[in-house]
Amino acid sequence: MSAMLEVADVSRRFGGLMAVDGVTTSVGEGELVGLIGPNGAGKTTLFNLISGFTPVSSGEIRYRGEKISGLKPSVIASRGISRTFQNLRVFPNMTVFDNVSVGAVGAIGQSPWQAIRSGSKRAKEISERSWEALEKVQLTRYANELAANLAYGKRKYLEIGRALAMKPDLLVLDEPAAGLNDSETAELAAFIKELHAGGLTVMLVEHDMGLVMSICERIVVLASGRKIADAEPAVVRQTREVLEAYLGVDE
Amino acid sequence: MSKDFIQSAGLKLVILAVLFVALPLLLVSLDKGYIYQVVMLALIFSLLAVSLQLVTGIAGLLHLGHAAFYGVGAYIAALAGADYGIGFTLGLPLAGLGAAAIAFVVALPTMRLVSIYFAVATLGIGQMIFLVLQNWVEVTKGPNGVSLFSGIDLFGYTVDSELGIYFVVATIVCISIWVIHRLSHSYYGNALRSLREDDQCADAMGINTVRLKIESFMISSFFAGIAGALWAYTTGYISPVDFDFAESILILAMVVVGGLGSIPGAIIGALLLILLPEALRGVGDMRNIIVGFVLFFSILFLPKGLFGEVPALNFIRRQMGAAWQDNPDKQKVGWK
Repeated sequence: MSAMLEVADVSRRFGGLMAVDGVTTSVGEGELVGLIGPNGAGKTTLFNLISGFTPVSSGEIRYRGEKISGLKPSVIASRGISRTFQNLRVFPNMTVFDNVSVGAVGAIGQSPWQAIRSGSKRAKEISERSWEALEKVQLTRYANELAANLAYGKRKYLEIGRALAMKPDLLVLDEPAAGLNDSETAELAAFIKELHAGGLTVMLVEHDMGLVMSICERIVVLASGRKIADAEPAVVRQTREVLEAYLGVDE
Repeated sequence: MSKDFIQSAGLKLVILAVLFVALPLLLVSLDKGYIYQVVMLALIFSLLAVSLQLVTGIAGLLHLGHAAFYGVGAYIAALAGADYGIGFTLGLPLAGLGAAAIAFVVALPTMRLVSIYFAVATLGIGQMIFLVLQNWVEVTKGPNGVSLFSGIDLFGYTVDSELGIYFVVATIVCISIWVIHRLSHSYYGNALRSLREDDQCADAMGINTVRLKIESFMISSFFAGIAGALWAYTTGYISPVDFDFAESILILAMVVVGGLGSIPGAIIGALLLILLPEALRGVGDMRNIIVGFVLFFSILFLPKGLFGEVPALNFIRRQMGAAWQDNPDKQKVGWK
C-alpha cells in the first residue's frame, strides 16, 4: 500500500509541554484509520498539524510525497485533504446549501469576474457539486434553512457535507461522534463506512474507543503526545500500553 | 417564458422605470435645484452604503474609514479636472482606481488584524487620509477645498443641465450597485460571508481568506472612489470636511439600520438617513434629535435591520431570480 499521508517524526511543543512528541505514522490510499487516545493525548493537535492550523515544531508531514507541513490550511485543503472540527463549526447565519457551497467554491474557485457574469459554467458546477454533497448527507430537505436552526446531529452531517463538497481524497474527521447518543453514533459509523466503501480515505479521531474499534482497519494510539500503538483493532485491544493508558493499570 | 422570469424581469423594469422615467419627470415638474441636490445625494450615499455593506456586512470587516476612500475619489476627480483638465470620462475610472490602489496599500498590513483591531486600524487610516487632504495644501489646497467648473464631460459632449447630470449619476450608481449585487449574490459572496462567520473554518475549506479580504476591501474602496467622483462632479466644490470621521459613521449607520449583510437594506438605510433629515427641515433644530430617535428605536426593535440579511437574500433569490433551481427538488437555492 502506497502511503498517501506520511507523518515523519513530528513534534509540537506548546511552551514547556510536548503536545505531540516524535510521532511517525502514515495513512495509505483507501485506508480507514482511527486515531485514539485519552484526553490530552495530542490527537487534536496532531490533526491541526496535518491540516496546517498549527505549525510543526519539528519533523515533516508529506502528502502524496510532497511536503505539506508549513503550508497554509487553505493550500493543504486544496491539495485534497478536508477536515471537520471537534466543536462543530458550521456557518450559523448561512443556509444549509450556502454552507456546503463554501466547500465547493473553496475547491473550484470563483473570481470576482466570474461572479459578476450571471449563469456562468463555474456557478453551475458549484451548484451541482453542492447539491450532490447535500444529497450524500441527506440534508436536501433543509437546503434553505439557516444552519443555526438545524438540530445538533444534523449539523454534524452538514459539516461532513461541506467537507465532501470539496471532493477530498482524504477526509479527516475530528471526534465526529462527540455529543451523539448510541443510535446516532451507530448511524454515523455506518455512514462513514459507506463513504469509505465509496473510495474515500478516512482518518478519524475519537475519544471513545467503541466507534473506532468497530469500523477502523487500523488504529493509531497516542498517549501524552507519543505513539504507543499502531495496529489492527484486535491487536490494539491486547496491547499492554494501551490498556495502561486508558485504564491507568500500574505494573 | 417561466412565471419566475417574468416576475423578476418585471421587478427590474419597475426599478429602472422609477429611476429613469418617474423620478426625472417628478424632478422636472418640481424644477427646484435643491431637490436635485437631495436626490443626487441619496443616490451617491446609496452607492456608499452598498459598497460598505460588501466589506462590513458581508465580509464582516468593521470598517470605520470608508469616507476617506470616498474623499480620495472626490479629490482625484476634482484635482484631475481643476489642475490637468481631465474630464469625467477619464476622471471617473481614475478616481475609482486611485481609491482601490490606496486600499491595496493599506490592506496589506491590516488584513491580518481581526475584529476590533481591524476597526481601529481603519479608523487610523481614515484619519490619516483626512489629515493629508486637510494639510497637504500644495496639492489638495487644504481646508479651502477645490472648485471644479467643468460639468460632466461625456466623450466630448458636455452635460451641464441638472436633468442630464441626474441621468449620468443615476446610470453610474445603478451599474455600480448592480456589480456589487452580482458579487454579493454569488458563490463569491458566499465565500465572503464565510469569512464573517468563521474565517479559520473558511481557511480549512480551501478559501484564501487574506486574498478575499483584500479583494473585498479594494472593490469596496473602488466604488467609494466612484461615489466621491460623482459627488465632486455634481457639486462642483469639495472640501476635506465632507470626508471626515462623521461621514464614515453616517455610512456605517445606514448599513446597520438597513440590515448588516443586506444590499437592499443598505439602500433603504441610505435613503432613510438622507431623506428623513431633509423631510424634517420644517421642524428646525429638532430634526437631528428626531433622526437620532428614529435610529435608536429602529435598532432597538429591529436589530437585524429594516430589511435584514435573511429576508433580503430570500428576496433576491426568489423575486429577483438569482437562485439556482436546476435540482431534482426544484428548490431555489444557491446562486445562478
